[in-house]
Amino acid sequence: MRVPVELFDYATKEPVEGELFDEVTVEHFLETQRDWRPAVIEAAKAMLKSGAPRVNVPRHFHWDWSTKEADLRVLAFSFFGITCRGKLQGIMKLETAGRSSRLPEHKGKPLIYIDYLETAPWNIKTLVEALGKGPQFGAVGTRLIEAAVRRSLEEGFKGRLALHSLSTSEQFYLEKCGMMGVGRDSAKQDLLWCEFTPEQAEIFLGEGGGAA
Amino acid sequence: MKMNTDKDWLSRRAELEDGCFVSVGGLVESLAEREQTATNVVPMKPAFVRFVQLARRDRRLSLEDFAEKVDVDLAELVKIETEEHYKPTLRTVHMIAEFLKVPEKTLLALAGLLQAKDPQFQKAALKFAARSAPVEKLSQQEHSDLEEIVRLLCEQ
Repeated sequence: MRVPVELFDYATKEPVEGELFDEVTVEHFLETQRDWRPAVIEAAKAMLKSGAPRVNVPRHFHWDWSTKEADLRVLAFSFFGITCRGKLQGIMKLETAGRSSRLPEHKGKPLIYIDYLETAPWNIKTLVEALGKGPQFGAVGTRLIEAAVRRSLEEGFKGRLALHSLSTSEQFYLEKCGMMGVGRDSAKQDLLWCEFTPEQAEIFLGEGGGAA
Repeated sequence: MKMNTDKDWLSRRAELEDGCFVSVGGLVESLAEREQTATNVVPMKPAFVRFVQLARRDRRLSLEDFAEKVDVDLAELVKIETEEHYKPTLRTVHMIAEFLKVPEKTLLALAGLLQAKDPQFQKAALKFAARSAPVEKLSQQEHSDLEEIVRLLCEQ
């Protein structure tokens, strides 16, 4: 699948053409992480040096994905990616089976689970500002969430969607996307399980979004 | 899949997102958990292999005889003793524990099928495994080692 998708260009304040696709291989993923990692480490170091609160420093900035290659291959998944101007701007991995709602009123109903989502470091304001720059593209995370909601609709899950948010992302999922914080998961380092009901997913997609 | 083409929606959403962190942690935590499990479990396995070898040889039993007496598959027994990364089945470990009269749970931990929680036990098991030396007949030292590991298993 390859579909055109617009992102927001911070430099021109105008939409910019990108592409959403679902054929990111493990090799592509690792290559991208090798590309992203130096910028994340550099920014994290700058943040720590400037005395920024530790809570704002990316939790997994030191994470070396290349050591996880064998595990990634065992998991045998494919990722969604968004490219713009020849570079990958964000990646997401979905689980489309075996997950269900934790909300009492939707308990047991199937949903799409996002178990990985990340945007390129040059699109994250806190990181690039630590290096004296500004972010390049906006709404990358939003577009990936939109793709996940649409996938949920395609699967017949009515837009139901869940994820474990990192603490630095909770505000985005709860306040900006309108997801519900269902509870902290002790099996996942107390990360917050966030969920979209069909109604919230429809609101997120907005007018002309085709949520019906 | 048809994405939203409304430019106002995009601008509003970009403003809301505002270049913030959007990272999701499920996969990272799953991989970290796998790594943690592997760290806790793998080092115990050589101690299990050595224990089975010494216990068998102490009884002067060939692999065939031991397999028959314990009532386990010979091929699996060979794999246990020769393949470093082979994971024994629950039934086999249960049968070996019963035959050698050692607690099943501690033997399961030694075999890497249960997570060992006692660091002292892990340390002692690794020490035992580290003294491994292939010889035909049990030496006095091996005999003492075997008694030591049996005592350790029974104390848990």
